[in-house]
Amino acid sequence: METAIKNLKSVLGNENVLTSYEDRYCYAYDATALGDKLYLPDVIVLPSSTEQVSEILKIADKYSMPVIARGAGTNLAGGCIPLNGGIIIHLSRMNQILEVDKDNLLCRVQPGVAVEKLQQAVEEAGLYYPPDPSNLKVSTIGGSIAQSSGGPRCFKYGTTKDYILGLELVLADGTIIETGGKTIKNVTGYNLTQLIVGSEGTLGIVTEATLKLIPKPESKKVLIAFFNSIDNAANAVTGIISAKIMPATLELIDKYTMETIEKFYPTGLRTDMDASLVIEVDGSQETVDVQAKRIESICKSYNACDIRISKDQKEADDIWFARRSAFGAVAKLGPNVITEDAVVPRDKIPTMIREIRRINTKYSLTACIMGHAGDGNIHPNYSLDLRNKDEMERFEKAVDELFNTALRLGGTLSGEHGIGMTKSKYMKKALDERSIEIMKSIKQVFDPKGILNPGKLFY
Amino acid sequence: MKKLEDYSEDIYKCTKCGLCQSVCPVFEATGLESAVSRGKFTLLNGILTDKIKMGKNMSRYLDLCLGCRACFEFCPSSINAEEIIIQARHHSFNINGISFVKRFIISNLNSRLNLNLLKLALSIYRKSGLINTANFIAEKISFLKQPVCVFNSQIKETIRYKKQKPVKSDSKLKIVYFPGCINNYINPSVKNSVKIVLEKNGFEVNIPDFVCCGMPARSAGDFKTFKKQAEKNLDLIDDNIDFLLTDCASCGSIWEHYAEIVDDKYKEKARNLTAKAVNINKFLAEIDFYIPENTEITATVTYHDPCHLKRFQNVYTEPREILKKIPGINFVEMNEADKCCGVSGTFCVVNPDISKAISVKKAENILDTNAQIVSTGCPSCKIGLSNGLAIFNKIMPIYQPVELLAMLYLKENNNKR
Repeated sequence: METAIKNLKSVLGNENVLTSYEDRYCYAYDATALGDKLYLPDVIVLPSSTEQVSEILKIADKYSMPVIARGAGTNLAGGCIPLNGGIIIHLSRMNQILEVDKDNLLCRVQPGVAVEKLQQAVEEAGLYYPPDPSNLKVSTIGGSIAQSSGGPRCFKYGTTKDYILGLELVLADGTIIETGGKTIKNVTGYNLTQLIVGSEGTLGIVTEATLKLIPKPESKKVLIAFFNSIDNAANAVTGIISAKIMPATLELIDKYTMETIEKFYPTGLRTDMDASLVIEVDGSQETVDVQAKRIESICKSYNACDIRISKDQKEADDIWFARRSAFGAVAKLGPNVITEDAVVPRDKIPTMIREIRRINTKYSLTACIMGHAGDGNIHPNYSLDLRNKDEMERFEKAVDELFNTALRLGGTLSGEHGIGMTKSKYMKKALDERSIEIMKSIKQVFDPKGILNPGKLFY
Repeated sequence: MKKLEDYSEDIYKCTKCGLCQSVCPVFEATGLESAVSRGKFTLLNGILTDKIKMGKNMSRYLDLCLGCRACFEFCPSSINAEEIIIQARHHSFNINGISFVKRFIISNLNSRLNLNLLKLALSIYRKSGLINTANFIAEKISFLKQPVCVFNSQIKETIRYKKQKPVKSDSKLKIVYFPGCINNYINPSVKNSVKIVLEKNGFEVNIPDFVCCGMPARSAGDFKTFKKQAEKNLDLIDDNIDFLLTDCASCGSIWEHYAEIVDDKYKEKARNLTAKAVNINKFLAEIDFYIPENTEITATVTYHDPCHLKRFQNVYTEPREILKKIPGINFVEMNEADKCCGVSGTFCVVNPDISKAISVKKAENILDTNAQIVSTGCPSCKIGLSNGLAIFNKIMPIYQPVELLAMLYLKENNNKR
């Protein structure tokens, strides 16, 4: 170990290799609620180039040390937790946008760049990078690739996986490879790029990505519609989609979430209603107006009691403020928050929400239910105190039931957060044995010594 | 007085969402998890649960905070990191003491004699022409150029006091003015300006012989010195004043903490005076201040929000209003106007490289506006702004809004003559 650290220091310089107990303690967590469990890394390194990452992996390979890549550390499934110690590669200094190519509608970035910063940069050029994970102010492109992150807009535009054209990847032994390229069409061999997207740092460390961009929509409009039953809201979602309208977002907020938001950030939500939908349409000015009108009449036909349409950017921002305040509001309810991430076929949303409510009552738990109704992705946000052993036991049982229900309804374990360490125990229920075997064989090819983010994905 | 343990629930409830990374200037400059509030809460939670010792390493990490409160603004759990970190520094102060540099600064600020000696030395330096000699030599020796230019620009007395004839009827308001150490002992321009502007508008000012406000001692966790300074200052002010005027953003934001630290017999007075403390920009914006006709200051001006003014005293529209009212000024907003300048008291001495990186970002935003003058509301921000600009080899005049107003009045006097 000491020799390994000495080697790391000679590659990166003393100031970029952290070994003090306090520093290791600072990298023992991400945004996942772990309670009093403590997984300390042995060393943290802060590289500033692909070559340095390659040298780090050569050292890790030589000394068989686990390697965990970390962006903003906002993972909710324990993806950045160093379960077996080892080296944390903090990519905060590899945060440059290398190129915005207006002619080819693409950009090249380093993994540590925050999603919002990238979006702002490409929007200045009239372009658009749609995936919008809720923590986009800090969460990085590297993290988005590792988890194949989503967000509200992904209903219309697809998730991170739909925007990755090529990657520069450092393999477990330090070899640098390039996958994909700058072209939209590319069928030269297996699609290694897509294999890496969502692989949660278990196959290699991404050091550069080429992203596909689209033209920025000319105009936007936001609606909020309130319903006196969640079934009506869910049926309205189906109504909108079957009318062949593709809003950018179709967000569902349940009654308790609205009450909680109003408690801390009063914005005039109708707390007497059972659910509301936040719908954003985008495109040219004319199509936006037409879509908004049609959505309004569809919501009415599903008994929406109150519909508000933004007239200007400020009104649009106000509506989004309410939705975006949801997490902060739940955070104020109690000491800890755990955000779950189940996904079901779209038409099963009312059933799923009813089931979540039933499970929560059964185990006496408090949760605000919100989600991306357009793609069946539901996030119950549990307000808890991890120090309360009894509550945590009830929570674990509830989550077991929650995922069994999602699987029974034809859904799956995670829409956009990933499996990490917290959901690996459900993998065998979600996938057949042979699929898991194939995945494990792939892992073996990429990482024969098992040093890349060990303990994640597979139980 | 609250202790670190009293904040244990606040520290524990950090959800680790990491949003503080998006606004923390120290994180932007270092990329270190220990720099950001989330990291500090994790460490402090470790201290409170006996997993980590409050040793030298911890005190080094606690120094990695500007106290700018940018993360408090939108923390989903509403945790006031700045307040907690100061308590933690106090905890560390009791165990580890403080560094030589901090001790040196705080003890000098605590000594009227030393401050007066400094004032005298600077005055000789200015008046004897040594300042010009230093400029001349610095021009020839490249590594001296930057620090000497920054130093000289900070001490240059740009506005001299001249008695003003009031243009408005005498106000009966009893005003005590707290000028702060930099304005009192290092550069009197702001103090001169406040006197000029108030006199012109019919106000009489009373300036007792104050000691340091206690901000440097408090942020270093030296609560004993802070308490002494707070009580001494309270002794110097009458209870029945109408306004306690401050122009230094940091000195202005400390008053709300006086009541928590002082002895019981001072508490009521502290509360009473805190309620009367008002920043000069807010005061001016609320009186209908005099604007001369036919006199202008022709310049493009941008404004930097001191953290202690915007996020501690909620004063940010007022300075802009004043600037916009001054005839001839073309006001332009800079990007990230309310992002810290990087100085933050002793932070810039303890972490010079990080401070410089933050000041450079600020200077970039200033230069992007093509302004000829930068305005701000705190003498210590002036240091940060000129430090950053110096990296780009730029020297720009930096004035508080009240200085520009005083200049306008002086210009009118000259025109009339």
